[in-house]
Amino acid sequence: SVSFKLKKQEVDPKEVEDFDRELRALMQESLDLRKLELRTRPTTLNMTIPMNVFEGSRDHGRVIEGESSEDTMDEEGSGGGTNKVRVKVLVKKGSKQQTRQMYIPQECSLVQGTKQKEAAELEE
Amino acid sequence: EENVGEEEGYEYGKGDLTEHACRYCGVQNPACVVRCNIPSCRKWFCNSRGNTSGSHIVNHLVRAKHKEVCLHKDSPLGETILECYNCGCRNVFLLGFISAKTESVVVLLCREPCLSVNALKDMNWDLSQWCPLIDDRCFLPWLVKVPSEQEQLRARQISAQQINKVEELWKTNPDASLEDLEKPGVDDEPQPVALKYEDAYQYQNVFAPLVKLEADYDKMTKESQSKDNLTVRWDIGLNKKRVAYFVFPKEDNELRLVPGDELRLRYSGDGAHPAWQSVGHVIKLTAQEEVALELRASQGVPVDVNHGFTVDFVWKSTSFDRMQGAMKTFAVDETSVSGYIYHHLLGHEVEAQVVRNTLPRRFGAPGLPELNASQVFAVKSVLQKPVSLIQGPPGTGKTVTSAAIVYHMAKQGQGQVLVCAPSNVAVDQLAEKISATGLKVVRLCAKSREAVSSPVEHLTLHYQVRHLDTSEKSELHKLQQLKDEQGELSSSDEKKYKALKRATEREISQSADVICCTCVGAGDPRLANFRYRQVLIDESTQATEPECLIPLVLGVKQVVLVGDHCQLGPVIMCKKAARAGLAQSLFERLVLLGVKPFRLQVQYRMHPSLSEFPSNSFYEGTLQNGVTINERQSTGIDFPWPVPNHPMFFYVQMGQEEISASGTSYLNRTEAANVEKIVTTFLRSGVIPSQIGVITPYEGQRAYIVNYMSRNGALRQQLYKEIEVASVDSFQGREKDYIILSCVRSNEHQGIGFLNDPRRLNVALTRARYGIVILGNPKVLSKQLLWNSLLTHYKERECLVEGPLNNLKQSMVQFQKPKKIYS
Ligand SMILES: [Zn+2]
Ligand SMILES: [Zn+2]
Ligand SMILES: [Zn+2]
Repeated sequence: SVSFKLKKQEVDPKEVEDFDRELRALMQESLDLRKLELRTRPTTLNMTIPMNVFEGSRDHGRVIEGESSEDTMDEEGSGGGTNKVRVKVLVKKGSKQQTRQMYIPQECSLVQGTKQKEAAELEE
Repeated sequence: EENVGEEEGYEYGKGDLTEHACRYCGVQNPACVVRCNIPSCRKWFCNSRGNTSGSHIVNHLVRAKHKEVCLHKDSPLGETILECYNCGCRNVFLLGFISAKTESVVVLLCREPCLSVNALKDMNWDLSQWCPLIDDRCFLPWLVKVPSEQEQLRARQISAQQINKVEELWKTNPDASLEDLEKPGVDDEPQPVALKYEDAYQYQNVFAPLVKLEADYDKMTKESQSKDNLTVRWDIGLNKKRVAYFVFPKEDNELRLVPGDELRLRYSGDGAHPAWQSVGHVIKLTAQEEVALELRASQGVPVDVNHGFTVDFVWKSTSFDRMQGAMKTFAVDETSVSGYIYHHLLGHEVEAQVVRNTLPRRFGAPGLPELNASQVFAVKSVLQKPVSLIQGPPGTGKTVTSAAIVYHMAKQGQGQVLVCAPSNVAVDQLAEKISATGLKVVRLCAKSREAVSSPVEHLTLHYQVRHLDTSEKSELHKLQQLKDEQGELSSSDEKKYKALKRATEREISQSADVICCTCVGAGDPRLANFRYRQVLIDESTQATEPECLIPLVLGVKQVVLVGDHCQLGPVIMCKKAARAGLAQSLFERLVLLGVKPFRLQVQYRMHPSLSEFPSNSFYEGTLQNGVTINERQSTGIDFPWPVPNHPMFFYVQMGQEEISASGTSYLNRTEAANVEKIVTTFLRSGVIPSQIGVITPYEGQRAYIVNYMSRNGALRQQLYKEIEVASVDSFQGREKDYIILSCVRSNEHQGIGFLNDPRRLNVALTRARYGIVILGNPKVLSKQLLWNSLLTHYKERECLVEGPLNNLKQSMVQFQKPKKIYS
């Protein structure tokens, strides 16, 4: 492979500032809009999680994947951590639920949380 | 009824950006992109930050105030619109992942309200671990990958300002591209060329408008070239095709026909003949400006009529289309050139790379003359470098050196070597030399030039196809004969013929060691599926950059550019494009970027007296003589050289210059009259016409000299007709034993125009092998520094003379102080 030096352009601090402001404004606007909607239409929890997605997950669901994972989508650009945790992502396709497998870096708060909990559960 | 060439409709520039390429930077890895889900938008963006603080997708969503996205079908989650698992909210600024209960099952949940619903807590979900989809101005990198550094470096380097501009443009024109931002208005000066480019898109943005300007100019000038009232002489070619001969008068600085050009011949009809027209290709041009046009259709030709024909130029966009296509391929197709060459060509700093190949023990090649030291050094060095330049001053054996390089490259077994040059003449010369080494060479000609005779016809693909298998049984041969006899085939036979021909072409091309074609020819669809890792381009300093790029984007890993940036560059007709820098070759830009060319140092053309000034003025005195004075002695020629040891003189002329009839060029009658006298003296002294070349920078003078000599020549008219009179520019790359240079410019106050370019003077001074005579006005020319030193050089050698030819005397004319240094 080729090695070359390319000056990475310095990001203009003013640009960063402008962009951050716009991004925060958009987040806030989105939140405000939701809150407004909710006044007229309160949400209820309408979430059914099919129990079968949990089935067997104790045994095979959590696997710590090393760098040599065969998952080819995961070659580069995954940022930082080498070890990854396989999770199931639950998505709705229309009214049907589906799960898809995905790999999350171990240090992600998502899996950190469950790990801590598991540890806590074990102690109990 | 016009037979449309096979090539028409062919789209140049392979590797189109896929639909899902990031609209900012072009990254097209499906794992790295998402689609904006707003129905009026639906554009794809990647998750790289590039040169901005946020990633491209986040940038787009913020700038356009769009809030929904969809993942790519080849991404880990498949084609999925991101939405809250509970309420279906699609606002990505509110979404985040959360683990469902304690297990490794995660869902997307919106922050408001679903995350704050108490029921979840009751279900034992840890809401504090909610992980927002957009974090640090970027999508979660494990959901949408960040393109690798390689991918990012190869992508368009878009700035925040450009993003703002294009987003603004999309509000009124959702299909606009980044190129539209750069498009100059009708009256704007185009963006000039640069030394370095951020990426191949920026490169394309600069060059595409220049190529377009040149194409438009070319089209306009050529299509306005109708000639009426021509007299035609009919003939039939060896291939049984109808050929029309007629004189196509060439005026000052106007269109020059070349073999392969397409013309339409028309007859408006009379009582006995219906109106008729046919398109054909120029297959020959005689010195007497007679054109041979091979017609496509033989039927209905009014062969019993000879007068009243009209001819129009049929302009073809092919060469320009191929340049544009090559630039597009360079940008969007990652495999078009190696990473090293990509960055090198764009002027990025690249760590030096060595090509690891076993070097041959001898650097010469069979069938070629022994190489001298500087040639050996050049061959050895370029074989070890991925990008190299060879500078070949006049007469230093560029072609032999190139052929030796190609020979050794071909022996390395890395596949076929592609050898190109901008002109057909140069390609033919090189093909011949390479073939002499014993390599199998295929010379690919444009379809329009197949009927043009060539010194290397036996190497051409079309010739080899016709002669590969001429046995009676060969189907192709049978069909070819039938086609030749009848002029056409039934549609089923034609189909069969074409398929067989294509298969044979492929077979022959594949078995070759080397493919030779012009730079534009490398864009031929017949080569579209071939890859060439090693490419050599001769005369590369006479090609524009986009032209040079055509042979490179076929997968090059090692490139050798041969040329001489101290001689004339490519001809650009459109002044606007020339001013913006289209006339600068890639070779020149690489030199400016600090690539040091290997210079060939021994010249085998000029008498040592003739090479002295060019060596000192253009090559820092490094040019050595490979020929001796004795080898360049004109034995038996009784010509009145003022100093016989120096077969050269500057003949002082004081006659005025005039503007030619067309108003676009110059002529000088006194100089023309003296050219005739010198030619006559040469002829009388025993020199034959083919040894003499008359060159002048001005077309007006060229035409005037031809005319003057044929009317006023003291000897047989035919002798003068055989003498080549040409422009300096068209004589580049060629030589004659004796050269007469007529400078033309002679005025009190105006400049010296064309003569100002030191590269033109270099070319003019280095064409002669045995002797040179320069005619000009020292008073005018001495104002320019370089001419001043040339005049001084001649004066110091007592070769600045005046008076009648049979009694030349040293001239005491005073030189002017040179005004400015040529920059
Ligand atoms: Zn959008
Ligand atoms: Zn992008
Ligand atoms: Zn929700």
